Amino acid sequence: MLNRRNFLKLGAASAATGLAGTAVMTRAADMHAWGNQDFSPKTGRERKAVPSACYQCVTRCPNVTYVEDGRVVKIEGQINSIRSEGVMCAKGQGGVNQPNDPDRILYPLKRVGARGEGKWKQVSWDEALSELAARIQTLKDRGEPEKFMFHYGRMKSSTSKMVKTFLGSVGTATIGDHTSICEGGKWTAQELTWGGHYDTWDFDHTRFVLNFGSNVFEAGTNHVPTSHRLIRAMAERNVRMVTFDVRLSNTAAKSSEWVPVKPGTDLAVVLAMCNVVMSEDLYKGDGEAFLSFCKATGDNHAGTEEKVAALKAHFGQYTPEWAEKISGVEADTIRRVAREFALARPACAISYRGAVAHYNGNDTERALQTLAAITGNIDNPGGRCKAVGPKWHSPKGPKDLPKARKLAILDGPKGAAALPTHHMSHNVLKMIKEGSAGRPEIYMTYKYTPIYANGETQENIEILKDESLIPYFVVCSPFYDENAALADLILPEPTYTERWDWEDMVSPVQIPEFYIRQPAAKPLGETRDFGDVVCELAERLGTPLGYQTKEEFVRLSCEMTPEVAAVGGFEYMKQYGVYHDPKAEPLYFSYRKELKPEAYEKDSVVYDAETGVYWDWKKAHAESREAALEKGYTHTKKSYTGYVGQRIGDKVYSGFKPDKLNKSGYLEIYSGLVEEKGFPPLPTWTAIPEHEKMGPDDLIMTTFKVATQIHSRSVNCKYLTELYHKNPAWINPVEAAKRGIKDGDEIKVKSPIGEIITEAKVTPAINLGVIAISHHCGHWEYGRYASGNKAPGGRDDDPDLERIWWRDDNGMHPNWIIANSPDPINGQQRWMDTVVQVSKT
Amino acid sequence: MSESKTQVSRRDFLKKLASGSAVAATAVAAPGVAISVEKPKRYGMLIDTRRCVGCEACSVACKTENDVPLGETRSWVEFIEKGNFPNVSRSFLPRLCNQCEKPQCVSVCPTGATYKRPEDGIVVVDSDICIGCKYCLQACPYGMRFINTKTGTADKCDFCLHRVANGLVPSCVNTCQGKARIFGDLNDPESEISRLLATNTTTVLRPEMGTEPMVYYIDADHTDERDAARQGLYVRIETHRRQQKRV
Amino acid sequence: MHELNWGLPVILYLFLGGMGAGAGAVSASIFLRSGGGDLAGSNFRFARWGAMLAPPLVILGTAMIVLELGSFQAGNWFRFINLFLTINLSPMSIGSWVLALFILVSLAYAYTFISKAARPGDELHNMRKMLAWAMVPLGVGVALYTGILLGAMPARPFWNSPILAMLFLVSALSTGVAAILLVRSLFGHKQKVNEQAFEQHSYLLSSSDMLLIGMEILVIFLFVMYAHLTIGSVEEAVAVIMGGELTTLFWFGFVVLGLLLPAAIELKYVMPTLLYQKAYAMPRTMEILICALVIVGGFMLRYIVVIAGQVTGPVGI
Ligand SMILES: Nc1nc2c(c(=O)[nH]1)N[C@H]1C(S)=C(S)[C@@H](COP(=O)(O)OP(=O)(O)OC[C@H]3O[C@@H](n4cnc5c(=O)[nH]c(N)nc54)[C@H](O)[C@@H]3O)O[C@H]1N2
Ligand SMILES: Nc1nc2c(c(=O)[nH]1)N[C@H]1C(S)=C(S)[C@@H](COP(=O)(O)OP(=O)(O)OC[C@H]3O[C@@H](n4cnc5c(=O)[nH]c(N)nc54)[C@H](O)[C@@H]3O)O[C@H]1N2
Ligand code: SF4
Ligand code: SF4
Ligand code: SF4
Ligand code: SF4
Ligand code: SF4
Ligand SMILES: [Mo]
Repeated sequence: MLNRRNFLKLGAASAATGLAGTAVMTRAADMHAWGNQDFSPKTGRERKAVPSACYQCVTRCPNVTYVEDGRVVKIEGQINSIRSEGVMCAKGQGGVNQPNDPDRILYPLKRVGARGEGKWKQVSWDEALSELAARIQTLKDRGEPEKFMFHYGRMKSSTSKMVKTFLGSVGTATIGDHTSICEGGKWTAQELTWGGHYDTWDFDHTRFVLNFGSNVFEAGTNHVPTSHRLIRAMAERNVRMVTFDVRLSNTAAKSSEWVPVKPGTDLAVVLAMCNVVMSEDLYKGDGEAFLSFCKATGDNHAGTEEKVAALKAHFGQYTPEWAEKISGVEADTIRRVAREFALARPACAISYRGAVAHYNGNDTERALQTLAAITGNIDNPGGRCKAVGPKWHSPKGPKDLPKARKLAILDGPKGAAALPTHHMSHNVLKMIKEGSAGRPEIYMTYKYTPIYANGETQENIEILKDESLIPYFVVCSPFYDENAALADLILPEPTYTERWDWEDMVSPVQIPEFYIRQPAAKPLGETRDFGDVVCELAERLGTPLGYQTKEEFVRLSCEMTPEVAAVGGFEYMKQYGVYHDPKAEPLYFSYRKELKPEAYEKDSVVYDAETGVYWDWKKAHAESREAALEKGYTHTKKSYTGYVGQRIGDKVYSGFKPDKLNKSGYLEIYSGLVEEKGFPPLPTWTAIPEHEKMGPDDLIMTTFKVATQIHSRSVNCKYLTELYHKNPAWINPVEAAKRGIKDGDEIKVKSPIGEIITEAKVTPAINLGVIAISHHCGHWEYGRYASGNKAPGGRDDDPDLERIWWRDDNGMHPNWIIANSPDPINGQQRWMDTVVQVSKT
Repeated sequence: MSESKTQVSRRDFLKKLASGSAVAATAVAAPGVAISVEKPKRYGMLIDTRRCVGCEACSVACKTENDVPLGETRSWVEFIEKGNFPNVSRSFLPRLCNQCEKPQCVSVCPTGATYKRPEDGIVVVDSDICIGCKYCLQACPYGMRFINTKTGTADKCDFCLHRVANGLVPSCVNTCQGKARIFGDLNDPESEISRLLATNTTTVLRPEMGTEPMVYYIDADHTDERDAARQGLYVRIETHRRQQKRV
Repeated sequence: MHELNWGLPVILYLFLGGMGAGAGAVSASIFLRSGGGDLAGSNFRFARWGAMLAPPLVILGTAMIVLELGSFQAGNWFRFINLFLTINLSPMSIGSWVLALFILVSLAYAYTFISKAARPGDELHNMRKMLAWAMVPLGVGVALYTGILLGAMPARPFWNSPILAMLFLVSALSTGVAAILLVRSLFGHKQKVNEQAFEQHSYLLSSSDMLLIGMEILVIFLFVMYAHLTIGSVEEAVAVIMGGELTTLFWFGFVVLGLLLPAAIELKYVMPTLLYQKAYAMPRTMEILICALVIVGGFMLRYIVVIAGQVTGPVGI
């Protein structure tokens, strides 16, 4: 008989050999290293570690990608990153599924059947690019390069630079982005108030967080860098957070307090908070001091007392009691939270799409900027700060190109939005259909799926299927998404784990971080980085860009960027992936920098007495000094590009530098620009028209994101989709009972543009009057993990394909019934405003 | 820190032996070096649920690190949503193998494939020996075990032994957004986990099972459906455990 | 739903293993009680039926569980040998050894019965007798083990009771007797040595079966009562047969069909003999019916217990 003890030892020994000897402690230290090293659980061998960057979501965290036998097998956070500090979210972890997706497109595909029929022919790159280049050449030859429309989604950093250089070389400015379906409206509101967009939230130093419609723990455009700091602040420093959301998001759940708000009424609440701060004199102190950098009346030279009086007068009408009637939030709560926010110091006001993707979103964000301003929580440690990111230098590309031409289809119908500084991507297809501003003959999408990501799915499909509206449709993507399924030509890109880039996302610590993305493995099949593709296209079109590949572009940029070059340039970046200046100080109060006279006493700089702005008319391409002075800063086209500084009293400050709009160097609470467009200059309550006309049984449908999916682009990640593959509609038990709906029932949700059938999740974790549906599910393409449908050329060698246990349980996309309709000021798509009728099927 | 610990005096060593905790103390004689004694480790994890944001990065990290087939889970996060509107809460309970001090899975295993490593207390499955009888699946009070379809043998969290043995934290710890998971040696009073255990009120799951878990929680939500029913509360527990409900 | 890691193969294993062990133990004890089979041939025949039944049933059951092994399903056909490369305190380890021993001994025991006639002086006799002495404890051991296997785990409150082993033992013996009676009345009528002795032994078996059923009812009563009287996990788990999803199956499928009905029928035929010494005469069809009921009941018991144990678990977290 075998001795049990001996046997166990045997067992232990064989377990150890199973792990190739690693089961023996190789380090005596008790402190286990955090990361940047990994071993195979099967062979025990150390895996090759490649410092790179995530591209699952827009945050683009630095990562370390591990490779075994040439295959990407594991991804971790980068401990040397000051942004992520080595941690990583579920989506980043799931990124390992991207390169290994059996439904990836590996070869250029040309449509052979009818559009959308799903019949494809594999073609060579040479054939694909000859065809595309010939078509572009034809347009150029005809003098109509603008009929080549390029429509991109998350195209960032080096790729963006290269592609835009290429498009410039072609001569088209019919370049659309996706920002208006994202958070473009928030940016416009920021451009109106403090100039350039992007607010970062200084959670490391804050004492209180006031949140309107940001799901910071599950989503957010700077997700990991902000969320891990926020939870740390809450856990270690007892920072309180109050979250206004229509439902109990995980963020609301982790908050000290969740305040359910009626959709689209955050504006009323914020206005009432401004009322409390002004009427209770809580602005005194930092807020009052900050007012000298604000414009709060029509007069740019008004004194602080005048400003206070104007604000008191304006916000006087918005009492908490008034806001309670509109928002359903108790006046006492508003008062209490407003006081807490104003007194916490520093406190951080945060907001995202829940607050801005509405008819009145522009003023919601402006009101929030105001609230932060009058409490002195702008660009200060612990407050709402102006973004700080790395400034990469890069090759400029061909010079002396003719001015690019553009079709006027990017900003929606005339008059639909007053200041669509981030266009109206959700109306591009409508504009093409309507046709009065011309139609592109080549429509190309890149990292954007208008069919799935925009509202009115059915109409998008019909337009993109119609060859008379869009004669040639090119899609560049690694995956067979709903968009690609309708293309004429698919150019397969490698996944982000197989690509080069320099990266530049903003830093939550106000210190810029330089980082790169580098291929961890060779691109599969014949996939080609679109950066390389545009180089070849440019070459074929006779306007070479001056570099041949993305790698070369990244290398050159590393050498041209002083900070990076100083530490070793490209080689350093390849080895370490990230760099920040260890001696750098966080950048706060950038607006307070005083300018030296030589900066504004230059010849080309003129002073605009009305606004107090110094600006460089040459830089702004004004006709002449005289014309500049005569037309003035505000009314010269793109004068903001020549902005130098703002005179306040007897000093000139760098101020709040404008971007995209000719605003002054003040933080403009009072906006002359919107006033000119016929909207109230100070943040003002505007009701959502459809909500005013709601019947007693109507509900408002809102949408949201979950921590384990990214839009449409992660559903092919099996580990993520295993966790989240269906998106039942959240509905409050009271609303459900009224309609005889029980948890799990099939329900019909009907909006003015259509109806969907989906499943109900009856939960008290959502406000009355609301139904909320996330937008990641209900795919009909994107491969087998997403929809059950195989992509052309899909492989069968992944045994997990047999184990998909959520087949036929893929959820329902809400965008079929959401109209493509803009915020009238900034053009932002109104994701959260849809009025619906809900019933049991 | 570790240097001092390898030089344990003979008396200390005997004391430990006498108290029975130096189970697998190994004496290693190296040329020119006095006999040094490696004190056995007891790896444990502390999950501070106050810091857990329910991001499920740990679950996905675990799957990718250990190549866990679809439909099977070594680790998951439970969402416990309770209350009546508008007083609703949702808390998160990350779950993994407790590496129990008295592991039921070990006591029932007929082949010895499952055993508790004397040197560090990690409960592991030797997949070369396991016959897949599923006895241990029945015996674990926490529903941690499953038959890995690729190997046909029992599988579960092993504290990422292949990483830990190489001086790295487990994968779920490495990725944890909230840094809610603290991993370390419970036998080392200086370790972060020991210090936190000493200064916080902690609980373990199902202590009445007598398994003496090595995974501790701060502020864990122990609510189950029965508690909620008793209190007339709505409760919904989404477990994310192998597509099924909490067991 | 909880995972059902153990399905039909394990249920069949517990059932067939129990029945085979029961038949073996009963066979041996009849054999030994009748003085080593030198009594009139029908005792010997009884014992012979049991001896013949035991190994195939147990082997079949064991084969079943091999099918359920993950290693077997994954293509490692002979990995189960690992069971016999060690021995430890796991009930499954001990059980496997006992089972293996039982199979060997029962095969040898069956071998000694190859010859149909009982010859006290025959060569095999001593061996048969010796083996019979081993068969009783081994059979009881295997039968008990099937219960201990399940009962060993606090994580499975429905199973976690020493009474379960008793229940399985009694059930194993009762199904074992029923199995012998069944084959005997199916195939054994032609070989009657004499009518009276045949009925006499039927009577003995039926009445002892009745006794076993009575005990089984008692054990069931204890099982349910104790479970019901406690609080927490066990009470919660037993709720599945006390108003939960398996209630009908348990009370009707097992208690009524498998215990009460056969017991009542047996009572009807046994009582007159017992009380008034009337000649015992049960119609053959009735005998077959009773046996079938007892056997189906035995299967039901394993089925319900195996499922119930897995769909319930510890409460709280
Ligand atoms: N996991 C994950 N992370 C992501 C993304 C992703 O797809 N998945 N996408 C990235 C991108 S591109 C973006 S733009 C960001 C978006 O990041 P967020 O804007 O923070 O996320 P959303 O879920 O779009 O919306 C935030 C919240 O608004 C709430 N809400 C809806 N209507 C209202 C309302 O009227 N008032 C209030 N107060 N709240 C309301 C929703 O319930 C939701 O919880 O996330 C980025 N990060
Ligand atoms: N109802 C509702 N709709 C929404 C939202 C919402 O909250 N509710 N959120 C909106 C927001 S915030 C945004 S930002 C948009 C996002 O919408 P999109 O910009 O369309 O973003 P994705 O869906 O993430 O990805 C678009 C496509 O990019 C392709 N892709 C993925 N990886 C790569 C790659 O590496 N290279 C290339 N070339 N292509 C790739 C895939 O084919 C994918 O379909 O959706 C919006 N839509
Ligand atoms: S936040 Fe976005 S970029 Fe960062 S790890 Fe997660 S998915 Fe990747
Ligand atoms: S949690 Fe379960 S599997 Fe893990 S050691 Fe304890 S009993 Fe074994
Ligand atoms: S399945 Fe494997 S590890 Fe579990 S008890 Fe059986 S032999 Fe042991
Ligand atoms: S320690 Fe490793 S195996 Fe265990 S849950 Fe964490 S990642 Fe999974
Ligand atoms: S990774 Fe950390 S924060 Fe995220 S769910 Fe897991 S334990 Fe919680
Ligand atoms: Mo977005």
